[in-house]
Amino acid sequence: MTTHTDPPEGTRADGDDERLPCGRPLSQVWDDWERQVSDPHSATCPHCRHAVRDLEQLETAVAGLREETPETSAYDAEPLTRRVMDLVRLELRPGRPLPLGEPAEDLWIMETVAARALRSAAESVEGVSAGSCRIVDADGPAAGVEVRLDIHAPAHVGLQELAERVRRRVREAADRELGMVIASVDIRVTDLVDSGAENREGDTA
Amino acid sequence: MSASMPSAAQAVLIEDVARVVEGVPGVAFLKPGLAARLRSALGRAGAGTGGPSTAGVRLTPGPHAAAGWHVDVQVVVVRQARAVEVARAVRRAVEQDLAVRFPGRPGSRVTVTITGQV
Repeated sequence: MTTHTDPPEGTRADGDDERLPCGRPLSQVWDDWERQVSDPHSATCPHCRHAVRDLEQLETAVAGLREETPETSAYDAEPLTRRVMDLVRLELRPGRPLPLGEPAEDLWIMETVAARALRSAAESVEGVSAGSCRIVDADGPAAGVEVRLDIHAPAHVGLQELAERVRRRVREAADRELGMVIASVDIRVTDLVDSGAENREGDTA
Repeated sequence: MSASMPSAAQAVLIEDVARVVEGVPGVAFLKPGLAARLRSALGRAGAGTGGPSTAGVRLTPGPHAAAGWHVDVQVVVVRQARAVEVARAVRRAVEQDLAVRFPGRPGSRVTVTITGQV
């Protein structure tokens, strides 16, 4: 019988990632380029440089697409280029399938897709920015998954209360937007950000 | 990709299932193999077929002739819809389609995976 402990076979954690002839995965080369990380290999390897050139062309092509279809941008504020490129990235590195709905429904959602929704829910709390979001199968008999979320919190706020608000938003989004059963949400505050910097507008001395 | 090439009849069935899935409200499109498609559109590796995208549907016959199909569907859904409801609707639609198509066969097992939200 199918249970949620058997993820679907067709969903591989490495997605459609491609290994370049030099041995590096395409997703890593693209990641490094976007984060402007450079090392001696990537600077000189013709395969890596070719892959980066491809990505630049891809972005140009997608940007061109948007100009050709201006009416499609109306239904979502997020730029089309970014959404398409996000999808490409998701395919390359989708994470693991996680159970959706009730146990044994045999419905799944890829980890990166769920993590994105939950990170964005966390960031709806003022001053919070979300970092790493891992979602794992909960240990023990509890149904659902365990969310482990790192956040940067504004300084000078009660962390206990802030974490509680973030936890609530994450749970709401998991239920309302995804339909994913959550066993627990662990919030780790990894940095405190001086919120004074955010109030500069209209408050210039 | 798959271990065995689908027969012509199976390929037609996959296309049919793909159409059914894409008609479900809340489904944006089947997992498109987007990276590969865009790269091939740029003239590198692998030409597009021009047919409907079926990268998100895999169909495996049951262990013996009397068993139902196992259908594995991977879809991108719209962000406004609740993911689990779309996944359930996809499963229902595929199950119903196969039940009509193969009335004598036992029910199919349909696995649905959400691979993206747009």
